[in-house]
Amino acid sequence: MRSVLRSHWLYVALTAVLAIVVAVWAVPDLRERSWFAYAPGGGPGLTPPLPSLSPDLFLFPASAQIVLLAVGVCLLVQIYSTAYLGHHRRYRSYALVIVLFLVAMIAVVGTTNLWVLLVGWEVMGLCSYLLIGHEWETGEARAGAAKAFLVTRIADLGLVLAILVIGETYGTYDLIGALPFEGEARNTTAIGLLVLVAVVGKSAQFPLHSWLPDAMPGPTPITALIHAATMVAAGVYLAARMLPFYADSAIALTAMAVVAGITMLMGAVFALVQTDLKRALAWSTVSQLALMFAAVAASDPEAGLDHLVAHGAFKALLFLGCGCLMHAVGTSALSAMGGLRRPMPVTFWTMTIGFAALAGIVPTAGFFTKDSVLHALRGATDGDGALASGTAWTLLVVALVTSFVTAAYATRLWLLAFFGPAPAEQPGVVAPDPHEAPWAMTGPLVVLAVATFALSIGQPLHLGTGVLSTAVAVAGAGAVLLAWRRGSALSWAPAPLAGELGLDRPFTHWIPALVRPVSRTVVDLDRDAVDVYPRGGASAVGLVSRGLGLVQSRDVQRYATVLAAGVLVLVVVGVVAS
Amino acid sequence: VIVAALAVPFAIGLLLIAGRAHLSGRMAAWLGAAAMTASLALYVVIWAGRDAGTYAAGAVDAPWIEPLGARLQLGVTVISWPFALMTAFIGILCCLWLVATDTAPSLVGLVLVISASALGVFSSLDALLLFVFFELALIPMWFVIAWWGSAGSRRAATRFLLFTVAGSALLLVGIVIASLHGSSLEIINLRTTTVAAVLITLGFAVKTPIVPLHTWLPDAHSAAPTVGSVLLAAVFLKLGTYGLLVFVAPSDHVADIAPYLAIAGAIGIVWSGFACYAQDDLKRLIAYSSIGHMGFVVFAISTRSEVGLAAAVFGSVAHGLVTGLLFFAAGSLKDRFGTASIAAIGRGLYGRMPWLAVTLVLAAVASLGLPGLAGFWGELLSLRAAYEVGEVLTKPVAWTGLGLALLGIALTTAYFVRAIRLLAQGEPVPHVGDRDLGRREVVVMGALVLAIVVLGLAPQLLLDLYEPTSIAVAP
Repeated sequence: MRSVLRSHWLYVALTAVLAIVVAVWAVPDLRERSWFAYAPGGGPGLTPPLPSLSPDLFLFPASAQIVLLAVGVCLLVQIYSTAYLGHHRRYRSYALVIVLFLVAMIAVVGTTNLWVLLVGWEVMGLCSYLLIGHEWETGEARAGAAKAFLVTRIADLGLVLAILVIGETYGTYDLIGALPFEGEARNTTAIGLLVLVAVVGKSAQFPLHSWLPDAMPGPTPITALIHAATMVAAGVYLAARMLPFYADSAIALTAMAVVAGITMLMGAVFALVQTDLKRALAWSTVSQLALMFAAVAASDPEAGLDHLVAHGAFKALLFLGCGCLMHAVGTSALSAMGGLRRPMPVTFWTMTIGFAALAGIVPTAGFFTKDSVLHALRGATDGDGALASGTAWTLLVVALVTSFVTAAYATRLWLLAFFGPAPAEQPGVVAPDPHEAPWAMTGPLVVLAVATFALSIGQPLHLGTGVLSTAVAVAGAGAVLLAWRRGSALSWAPAPLAGELGLDRPFTHWIPALVRPVSRTVVDLDRDAVDVYPRGGASAVGLVSRGLGLVQSRDVQRYATVLAAGVLVLVVVGVVAS
Repeated sequence: VIVAALAVPFAIGLLLIAGRAHLSGRMAAWLGAAAMTASLALYVVIWAGRDAGTYAAGAVDAPWIEPLGARLQLGVTVISWPFALMTAFIGILCCLWLVATDTAPSLVGLVLVISASALGVFSSLDALLLFVFFELALIPMWFVIAWWGSAGSRRAATRFLLFTVAGSALLLVGIVIASLHGSSLEIINLRTTTVAAVLITLGFAVKTPIVPLHTWLPDAHSAAPTVGSVLLAAVFLKLGTYGLLVFVAPSDHVADIAPYLAIAGAIGIVWSGFACYAQDDLKRLIAYSSIGHMGFVVFAISTRSEVGLAAAVFGSVAHGLVTGLLFFAAGSLKDRFGTASIAAIGRGLYGRMPWLAVTLVLAAVASLGLPGLAGFWGELLSLRAAYEVGEVLTKPVAWTGLGLALLGIALTTAYFVRAIRLLAQGEPVPHVGDRDLGRREVVVMGALVLAIVVLGLAPQLLLDLYEPTSIAVAP
């Protein structure tokens, strides 16, 4: 029994069983484009019931895709982890938390009960906290985990309030039961903005973006899981699923468009200047998620979710490949890499496919789905939807610029990791001998590389935007290649960009600088000010008792004097009164 | 039946105190656990046999002090049932916790008397009877804190006693005024005036405690022995919230008090959040976090709505379980290291005592209100009650409180994350006291973890009592 529990494959098998169950459940729903006679409980104006956690499983076609992506990536991550972390003494708790993570993601995507969704949503936050902090001996991991949990949980209050508002508005906490019909939506701006707060935190969008890159001390397979298929993906999923509640609200959609526009360009530019492969990929996720939010803001959630699925495949591929590189050279710093294409052919070829998909090169899935997003933005520029025409045009231009930068940084990372000379040997340090990772790590890479192509089957092709985006991507990649051929080291990091514009300062400096003195003041006040009345009461009682104590002086003469004086006074009073 | 449910723990408790010289501590603790289990079983029997027509199950009515009109009226109502159940459950666990060779039999006896008195409060339908039980619980608690506490416990115990006795005096005057205006001393027949309502509120506010009447609590909690802290947090504070629920919430004059109650509760949430962030003593930290949780309950009560009632009951019960677990975990640490100072216990508990660390983290996560664990639903319903404003508050007051409560939730997350970071995580520095959970600790904490998870995943178990259709019987 004990040896079975220690076996790594037990957890893989557990995940596999979960994956098979989900597949049996979800695959039939993939093509089902409508739902039948659904009887909603509640209704506008009714008091919503007290919360309950009945599972209410139900899959929309798009959620079926996402749940399949989640179980698929999770299974691959579990297989990969047997080799990557199997020797770790806390492998067991690690693998179990991954399973819990997956269950939470299934709960978010597979239910119509908003409370179940919320539970899954926050349990995912807890799991990512535990997993990012897996190496809790190191200060970086502790800080990254704490930041991730704090930022996401505080933003999650937005979702709690959004659910409350939905309940009060539509009289039910059932996602389908509350789904408003055309033109009947109410409180759209409030719900939209609250949902936006929640997803901005969960999906690491501006201004709550900095936890995601700081979560990099977590084990690399976990990073793949969080970035590709669970945590941050849930944010996009939620924004898309809730869209009917705020589709009429120009304010909410414009706010989302602004957030997406700022984030996508910022993330891409930060990815371009990183010196660490893993952190660069993290910024790339931030930027790509913003692209999906842009599609949602342009009222085309389908395009956003398609890109989410494609991105899940190629970003999982890239992170797992990054793990192979780290396995080989012992660090994720780009300076330690270079020339790795010969010793690590499988990693090289699969990651090449991943980078191509990230840059949006034909015929990877990344090309088609990014194309759909751009097409959706182009469609929104006519100003018929809730988004103003000018906003949509701006967003489209920003997205194209982002595509350019994305192609550039993808090429840069690819070149720096796999081409060029191997890093010079430091004197006195034994250089690691890079070698290909074991099959349990390369196998998932191959599967994901195949998926990166396979997912493009059946995707729509929009010729005009396709040609344009290909031209932009080729220009971005070409610019970097040209610089590389001219002998540039491809390290551009002007001071403000290297510090990531100081956007993290509010979280690392200002808020702690505010909370610490306030809490110390509160403790002091609690001791010295609030506690005054009991202590004042005590000293008042003390005074009175001392005053009364004076009277009892054990001095018989004084007692007699007082007695005599009293008798005299009484006699006088008595005489005068009579 | 209900008399037996109260008499068994009382009798066994007094017996243990009287016969303390003839018994081993282990034996006494088993006996105590058996007595509390019997009491719990009897309460379940009473509740299972309830009659739909009456508001109190298993009601008993006998003459007591005729000239005053006070009667021995006992029964279990839809509000008191969860409180009684939780009290008996915590009582059993406290006795099981004491199954150790170094236990004094009289401590077990006092635990039983305290639990039985609290059960008496929750079962009284007569205001004077409730007051008697309310006072009866105090003195044994003074002994528990003063005799079995850590250094400085005598002072903390006396402070606790003086605060609550002062509160009780106000409460008694309030009850007398209310009974003069009402038709009898039965709680549902009381008619409060504004003065009476204010006095009663103040009396229970000391016990709950509501900021700024809370300064006795951190001292008492940090000085008390483990079972003392658990009983204080899980049971004693509930006497306050229960009193507010049955006396103040139905009062005709609640509208005069509610805004102050709401704001005091909401400020308490934020205040305790900040205070916790700067604590080094783990037990003090948990004590302050209790003030925050009670803030949510008080805030919910002040809305005087059905949702607020459900929030208050759920929040009270969940707080009893979660904070009970936190105090048991902190108590295990104090047993090992002789101190609850976070700095002295040191870092890396995950590595040094994995199961204890995991239990502590789970309790912390439940306490910060993670959805899916018991702590969440009470807070959530409080937020909803505030969002709906309720019958007596105005929208600005309710929504201000809502905003403060949200800030408080953020702070709660922050201070628990800080505590986890300082205690559970970090480079482990081994200590001679390092020892993972013993069997007794596994049983007690396991039972609480189970209860927290079950109540977190199936809040309907409790909330079904308060679905608007079944609420008509509430007093």
